[in-house]
Amino acid sequence: MKREIPILLTVLCGLAITWAFFSPLPAARAVNAELLAWAEVIFSVAFLLGIANLVRISLKQISARHPDSIYKVLLLLTMFGYLAVGLCDIHGWLLPEGAGAKDRSDWIYEKFFQPLQSTMFSLLAFYIASAAFRAFRARSFEATLLLVAGSLVMLGQVPMPTWLPESAAVGTFLQRVQAFLMVYVNGAGQSAIIIGAALGTLATGLRIILGVERSYLSE
Amino acid sequence: MATATDFDRRWIFLAIGVLVLGLYAFGSGAPMPVSPYVQSYFDTIDALPEGSVVLLAADFDPGSAAELLPTYQATIHHLLLRKLRIVNVATWPAGPPFTRSSFAEIAPQYGAVYGSDWIELGFKAGDDVAMGQIGQSLLSSFAQDDRDKADVTSFPIMQGISDSFQGIALLITMSAGYPGVLEWIAQAGGRYDVPILAATTAVQTPDLFAYYPSQLQGFAGAATGATQYLQLVVAAGVPALEGTTTDNQERMLIQTYAHLLIIGLIVTGNVLYFLGRRGA
Repeated sequence: MKREIPILLTVLCGLAITWAFFSPLPAARAVNAELLAWAEVIFSVAFLLGIANLVRISLKQISARHPDSIYKVLLLLTMFGYLAVGLCDIHGWLLPEGAGAKDRSDWIYEKFFQPLQSTMFSLLAFYIASAAFRAFRARSFEATLLLVAGSLVMLGQVPMPTWLPESAAVGTFLQRVQAFLMVYVNGAGQSAIIIGAALGTLATGLRIILGVERSYLSE
Repeated sequence: MATATDFDRRWIFLAIGVLVLGLYAFGSGAPMPVSPYVQSYFDTIDALPEGSVVLLAADFDPGSAAELLPTYQATIHHLLLRKLRIVNVATWPAGPPFTRSSFAEIAPQYGAVYGSDWIELGFKAGDDVAMGQIGQSLLSSFAQDDRDKADVTSFPIMQGISDSFQGIALLITMSAGYPGVLEWIAQAGGRYDVPILAATTAVQTPDLFAYYPSQLQGFAGAATGATQYLQLVVAAGVPALEGTTTDNQERMLIQTYAHLLIIGLIVTGNVLYFLGRRGA
């Protein structure tokens, strides 16, 4: 029964959601709405599971005096601190006079989270430049094609410096080359990949619905 | 023979840092030609009848704000200038603070009234599933608004909206990745036949050409698309965005030189590689 019940549930849900997706009947819409609501509950519970797992792993490392313990302490303090502020904001607890409902959590978001995440993302510019120098090699014909196409797209994406002779004409030419590469070469490739992936997803979905694919049961 | 791997990469970091800071301090940008995708993004909004309701999704976070926030705020200006009404949602948890701060700054400039001209519904968990739910029934997906915690049906802007995107004239997403524009196309565009526009990060932009123009009516890709769209919105009569447009044009100049430096590094790395192979 440990195997049969999950498979039966999967088959029933898979068939119901497929029927509900295509059918215009009100009953199908109700089934669809109900199953989507269940999925939302599962998503929300997954957030809680994620928090619980993070706390468990962090506490384990802190108690083992791992070299990164200080970061784990900081992580837990930040997570529960922001959670407390958020809860206070939602319920209007300890709200200073004249303050808006989300002023406190937005302040933390704008002053800490936003600059920190922007900084992390902007570091990519340095690593991409370094990787370009160390790793992009014209080792084969395909790699050379990729390098040349990538360079042309990069140049077509930006305005040309005005000190360059005929910069406007060069810029227009590069933009046309970039548009050709993106629309025809990239567009055709993307379409092929999307259609292939969609067919693959359909096949995998059918295998799951029919009970042939059971890897989600760790089989 | 020296190879690229022998080279201390901190020199490259320094070169990028000096280039960016130097150009930021002393560089000046110039107007860019507008691509057909960005023009279509602008024209689709411009063609909507006054009073139409637009679903605006803030599907991004601070990591992609440099690319998407200018387009997001320019889109809000454009929509309010055209007297269109905006229903704000987010499928990324970090999206709603951008909505709150942007509307707090922009809405008073147009005398827009909360609940009539715009509403903030907040974050919806569930990725594609949430999008499917929003498409099926926006009203039951969000029982309360995010700002006043009031019943959404009590707001005038929600009166004409019903299931299956009825009453929504256009969906615009600021898409930083998953879930984003591709999921909106699958869950809303194809299923409920709602036109979709997107502003995307540079990484995501190549994915969109396969969908334009049948499933995606227009898009502003990366900082380039943002700059072009800002130019169009300023020209349409939003002088408040002139400063942001100039900033973005300057950033594009920085990007030009950064791209040239990266291409130079690729060429140098390959020259060293081939010289090393010949010497071996």
